[in-house]
Amino acid sequence: MEDIQNSASNADLSAAQRQVRVQLTSKQEDIALPDGTGPILVPTGLRRYALSTLVNNLLSNDKPIPFEFLINGTFLRTSIDEYLTANGISAETTLEIEYVRALIPPLHIASFQHDDWVSSTDVLSATSPAATWASAAISPGQERILSGSYDGLLRVWNMSSQVVATSPPAADGGHAASIKAAKFVTPNQIVSAGLDRTVRLWKYSESEDGFSGTIAPHLELYGHKSGINSLAVHAPSHRLLSASSDHSVGFWSTKKSDAPAAPENLLPSAAARSSKRRKLNSSVSVAQRGPVALLSSHTAPVSAAIFDAKDSTVGYSTSWDHSLRTWDLVTATLVDTRTASHSLLSLEHLPELSLLAAGTSARHITLIDPRASATTISAMTLRGHTNAVVSLARDPHSTYGLISGSHDGTCRIWDIRATKADKDGVVGESVYTISRKGLEEQGKADSKRVGGEGVKVFSVCWDKTIGIVSAGEDKRIQINRGEGMLSA
Amino acid sequence: MNASKASKKRKAVTRDVEEEAGVFSGDELNADNLDGALSDNANDLSSDEDDSDSEIELVDEFSEDDEDDEELDSDEIPSDGEDAVKKKSVTTTDKSGEIAEDAESSSEEEELDFRIEKDANGNDRFIYDEINPDDNSEYSDVEENSNTIGDIPLSFYDQYPHIGYDINGKKILRPAKGEALDALLDSIEIPKGWTGLTDPSTGKPLELSQDELELLRKVQMNEIPEEGYNPYEPTVEWFTSQQEIMPLSAAPEPKRRFVPSKHEAKRVMKIVKAIREGRILPFKPPTEEDKEEDNVINYDLWADEAERPDHIMHIPAPKLPPPGYEESYHPPPEYLPDKKERKAWEEADPEDREQEFLPNDFGSLRRVPGYENFVKEKFERCLDLYLAPRVRRSKLNIDPESLLPKLPSPEELKPFPTACATVFRGHKGRVRSLAVDPSGLWLATAGDDGTVRVWELLTGRQLWSVKLSEEDPVNVVRWRPGKDALILAAAAGDDIYLAVPPIVDPEVEKASLDILDAGWGHAASVPALTPAEANKKNNPPKWIRPSSSLQESGVCAIIPLRYIAKSLSWHRRGDYFVTVCPGSSTPASVAIAIHTLSKHLTQYPFRRRIKGGGSPQAAHFHPSKPILFVANQRSIRAYDLSRQLLVKILQPGARWISSFDIHPTSSTASGGDNLIVGSYDRRLLWHDLELSQRPYKTLRYHRKAIRAVKFHPGGRYPLFADASDDGSLQIFHGSVTGDMLSNATIVPLKVLKGHKITGELGVLDIDWHPREPWCVSAGADGTCRLWM
Repeated sequence: MEDIQNSASNADLSAAQRQVRVQLTSKQEDIALPDGTGPILVPTGLRRYALSTLVNNLLSNDKPIPFEFLINGTFLRTSIDEYLTANGISAETTLEIEYVRALIPPLHIASFQHDDWVSSTDVLSATSPAATWASAAISPGQERILSGSYDGLLRVWNMSSQVVATSPPAADGGHAASIKAAKFVTPNQIVSAGLDRTVRLWKYSESEDGFSGTIAPHLELYGHKSGINSLAVHAPSHRLLSASSDHSVGFWSTKKSDAPAAPENLLPSAAARSSKRRKLNSSVSVAQRGPVALLSSHTAPVSAAIFDAKDSTVGYSTSWDHSLRTWDLVTATLVDTRTASHSLLSLEHLPELSLLAAGTSARHITLIDPRASATTISAMTLRGHTNAVVSLARDPHSTYGLISGSHDGTCRIWDIRATKADKDGVVGESVYTISRKGLEEQGKADSKRVGGEGVKVFSVCWDKTIGIVSAGEDKRIQINRGEGMLSA
Repeated sequence: MNASKASKKRKAVTRDVEEEAGVFSGDELNADNLDGALSDNANDLSSDEDDSDSEIELVDEFSEDDEDDEELDSDEIPSDGEDAVKKKSVTTTDKSGEIAEDAESSSEEEELDFRIEKDANGNDRFIYDEINPDDNSEYSDVEENSNTIGDIPLSFYDQYPHIGYDINGKKILRPAKGEALDALLDSIEIPKGWTGLTDPSTGKPLELSQDELELLRKVQMNEIPEEGYNPYEPTVEWFTSQQEIMPLSAAPEPKRRFVPSKHEAKRVMKIVKAIREGRILPFKPPTEEDKEEDNVINYDLWADEAERPDHIMHIPAPKLPPPGYEESYHPPPEYLPDKKERKAWEEADPEDREQEFLPNDFGSLRRVPGYENFVKEKFERCLDLYLAPRVRRSKLNIDPESLLPKLPSPEELKPFPTACATVFRGHKGRVRSLAVDPSGLWLATAGDDGTVRVWELLTGRQLWSVKLSEEDPVNVVRWRPGKDALILAAAAGDDIYLAVPPIVDPEVEKASLDILDAGWGHAASVPALTPAEANKKNNPPKWIRPSSSLQESGVCAIIPLRYIAKSLSWHRRGDYFVTVCPGSSTPASVAIAIHTLSKHLTQYPFRRRIKGGGSPQAAHFHPSKPILFVANQRSIRAYDLSRQLLVKILQPGARWISSFDIHPTSSTASGGDNLIVGSYDRRLLWHDLELSQRPYKTLRYHRKAIRAVKFHPGGRYPLFADASDDGSLQIFHGSVTGDMLSNATIVPLKVLKGHKITGELGVLDIDWHPREPWCVSAGADGTCRLWM
C-alpha cells in the first residue's frame, strides 16, 4: 500500500492531482478482479509499476504478480498522463485497461557445448508438436533436445546436457555436409536436411534407462539441387516441407510407401566426379525417395517453408526474392504472392492473428497478412535486431508472442501489442533480449560484435515445458526459461 | 411676555413656509442678507459676546422683521441656560412642524415613571407621580380655550368623553368629529398628508405636508433629515494612501501660472539693446594672426567636379562603408577589445589585421587625441591614387546553392548496404580478391596464404578451401558467369587455375566438369608446335591438368601463364576470360591474354604495348558488345574484337588507374556506355562514353588510393561501390537513364567502415551480390565482410 501512496504522491506532484477513471479488466480468470469492481479513480501520473501494485492490492495477493497493462491493445509504456496526451484522450473518460501477467525476463538454464556451429534445434517434450501429434506422453525430465550441427551430425540431448544419441557420420549413411535443419517428426522419428541437398529421416530409439539411444537412417529424400535451408513437419499427414536454395520448395512424404521414387540424376551415384564420394555412401544402403511435389516459382533461394498452423494443406514459403508465397499443397499450386521490400529469411505463422511473421535481411521482422482480402503487404514491423533475422518461433503461452533469432547474436522476444506508431507505420519493440551466454561468460556481454561474429543465432525454438532453446555460431545450444513468459 | 412669545411662536410657525419659499427662490439673496446681517449685527456681537454664532445665524435665517424680538429673546437666553436649550428645541419644532413635538412627547412617555394598577373594572390603570407644582413651566399661564392637561398625551383621555380640563377645571369635551357621512367622505377622499391623527394640541385632524412626511420618515429611519443628503456618497480619494510611481497627472505647471520676472525682462532688454547697438558681436573679430593665415591658398580639388561619363579612365573612388560603432570615440563596451584581442591585434602583422585600428573608449569627445596616423594615412592614400590603378569589378549575383544540382537524399535511395552483416575470417594474411557466385549463395575469396576459399554467404561458414600455391599469393578469383555451371577461375603466381568447388549438386557439377573437360580434346587436336615456334618466347601456353591432390580438391585445369596475372575478367557468356599481367617485366605482347574455355586456348591479342601510360592494368569485356576495354596506367582503350579496331580512347586524367568497371546495362538501352574508374591517386571517375573522353564526374572522397570499383551487376539496383586503402568502402547511387539528354545522377550514399588498415592497405577488392543490394569486401586485415 505504501508503494501506491508513494507513487501516487509522486505522481500528484507531477500531474498536478489529475485523476482518471479506469476500469481494470483481465481475460484470465485466476487474476481477474472480483465482479462488481467498478471504475477506480487513479492519478494520471501512475506508470506500469504503480498500476501493478494497485492491482495486486486489489487482488490482495500475498506474492505480488507483475502485470502489464493494455490500453486499446497496446502496452502502457509511459505514464497514463502521457498516454492520454499522446492519444488525445480526455481524462474525463473511463479508460478500459486490460491487465495481463507481465513477462519475466528469461533466465539462462543451461548451455550444451558442441564441436561445431549448431545450425538447428528442436525439442521433444510433452508440449512439443511432435509429442502432441503422436499423443505420446513425455514424462517430465525425459524431454529431449535435438541439435543439427555444421559438422553434419545430429545429436539428441537430455536435460542434463548429456548426448543421448548421435547420428552416424557420412560414411555410415549420415549427412555428407552441414545440417541446416532438423526436427522431430514423432518421438521416434527425426528429419534433417542440409547442404548435402538431401532430406533424411531417421529412426530414433532409446534404451530403457534413457541414457543412450540410436539414430538410424530410415529414408533419404532426393530432389533438391542445392542446399536445404529449413524444414517444416506435419506429422498427422506425414508430410514435410523443405526450403531449398535451388529456388524450390519441396513437399515430401515421411512414409516410404507414399513417396515416389528418387530422381536418378540427383542420386550421389550420379555424380560424375571422383570415386571418393561414392565411397562415402557405399556402406549403408538406405531407401531413397523423391519429392511428392517440388514447388518452384521462387526466383531466388527459398529461405523458409512452413505449414499453415490450422490447415496442413496450405503452405507458406519465403525467399530471398523478397516474396512470400502461399501454396495449396494438395494441388501443389501457387495461390498467392506477397512481395516485401527485402529478402525474407525466416517465417512463422501466428494463426490466431492470421499473420505471418517474416524475418528479413534488413534486420527487422515484418508481419504479413496472407489473406487475399488484406490490402497492405506489411501489417507491422518489429525493429530492434542489428543483423538478419534468420529464425522465428511462436510463443507457446501467448498468441501475441514471438521470438526471433538473429545473426546479431541475440534472441528477441516480441509482443506484437507492444507497438508504437512510426513514420513507416506501426513498429514494434522487443520485450526482452536474450544474448549468448558464451559472451557473458567471457565478460563481453555488452560488447557488440560486428556482424555478430562468432555468436550468430541460427535457430530458435520455444517450448512450453523446456523454454527457449537457441542454437548458434558459438557452438552451443542455450536454454532460457521465464515463468509465464507472455500471458494470453 | 409669555403670551406674546407664544403668539410669536405661532407666527413663526405660520410664516415658516413663506420663509422657506423665500430661501428656495434665491440663494444669492440669502448670501447678501447674511452679509448684511453680519455687518449689521456686528454691534450686537460685540455687546453679547457670550452668544453663540449659531444662535444668531438661526435668528437671522428666520427674518429681519423679527430682529427686535430676537434681540429680546437673546437677552433672555443668558439669564436662563436651561431655557436656551428649550428654545432650541422649540426652534427645531418650528422647523419640523408640530408633529415633532408629538414625537417628543411620545419619547417623553417612555421616560415617565408610572405604575400600572388594576382598577375596579379590572382594566389597567396608570398611577402617575404627582406633578411638582413649583415647576416654573411655561404652561402655567395658558390661553383660555387651550387644553390644560399639560404635557400628557391626549391618548390618556381615550377612554373619556373629554380631552382635558380648562383653566377653570371644566372638562373640555372632544370636538365633534362630524357625522358618519363626513367620516365616509373623509375616508373616500383622503387629503394629502392625512394622518388619521389628531393634533394633540387642537384635537383637529392632523395633516402633514409631503415634505413633513418625508422628514418624518427620515427621522424614523435614523437618517439625517436634511434634504438631498446622500449618506453613501462615493469616496473621492483626493490623496491616495499609496504613493504612485506614475501619478495620475504629471502635467507640468501650466504656462498661465508663469509670472514673468520683471527683473529678468529688464536684463534681457539690456542685452537686446546692446546687440542692436552693436556693442555685443556674435563672432570674434578676426585678429591679425588670422589675417595672416588667409594668405595661404587652399585648393579644393573637387570644387568644380562634375559628373563625368562612365569611362575606364574615370573610375570613381569606391564607396566606403559608413563608420560603425567600433569607430566611435565612445563605443559600446561590446565593441571594445579585451586583453587577448588587443594582444593578438598588436602581435599581428599590420597587413594581416582585420581592422586597421583598435576601438578605444575616450569617454568624451574632448579627450580624443590627435590622429596619430594622420600623416601616414595621407601618404598612403596619395600613394594609392598615384600607383594603384582602379579597376571596375563586375559582380555576378548568383546564389551558389542554385548552381548545385538537386540531389535526392540517400534516405530515398534505399536499399543500399548500410551495416556489416557477416565477417568471413579464416585467411591468413591479406585477402586479395573475392567474388560472389552467380546464384548469390557462395562467396569465393583468395588471399596471400595461397588459398582459395568458398563460404556460405549469409552465415560466413567456410565450405571449401584449396591451397593453390605454397608461396605465391592468389591475386584474383572470379566465378564464371551463368547459372548452368559453377566454375571458379583463380590466378595464383604464374598460373591460372580453373576449379569446380564440390558444393553443388551432381547435375551442375557434371555440367561444369563437362565444360572444363570439353577443351582437352580440342587442345589435343591442335597440331603441335614446330620446335622453332616452340622456342619462341611468346607462344601461347598449353593448358595442363593439375596434380592429383589438386584434382581431388576440385581443381580441373591450369593455364601456365609464366607471368603474374593480377586481373581476370570473364566474358558475359562464360566462354572467354581475359587476364592481365601488369608486371613491368612482362613483355608487352603477352601482358594481355584471352582464354577460350571451350577450346582450352590462350591467345595474345596485342602485339605491342599500348601507347601512352605504362603497363596494362585491367581489362574487361563489354557486357553486350564484342568490345574489350583495356586500361593502362593513364588511359582506357576500347577495342572492337570482331573488327580488330580501336574504337575509343578514354582519358580519365588519373595518374595511375587501379581498376574500372563497365555499367551492366551499357548499350542495352539507348543510352551510351558508362564506366567507373578508380585510381591510385584517390579519384573515382565516372565516364559517359557518349559524352566525352574526359570524365563526366570526378569524385574524390577517399584519403588513400582506390583499389577497386564495381557496379551492381544486373542493373537491378543503380548502385556502385569503391574500395580504398583508407579502410573504407563507399557506396554510391548512380542511375543511368535511357534518355540521351539527361546525365547520370550520382549520389554518395554511405561510407562503410570496418576493415582495419594493415600495412598501409585497407580494402583490396569488392563485389556485389547478383540480386540483392549486398556488398562484400576483401580486406588486407585477413577478413572479408558482407554488408547489407
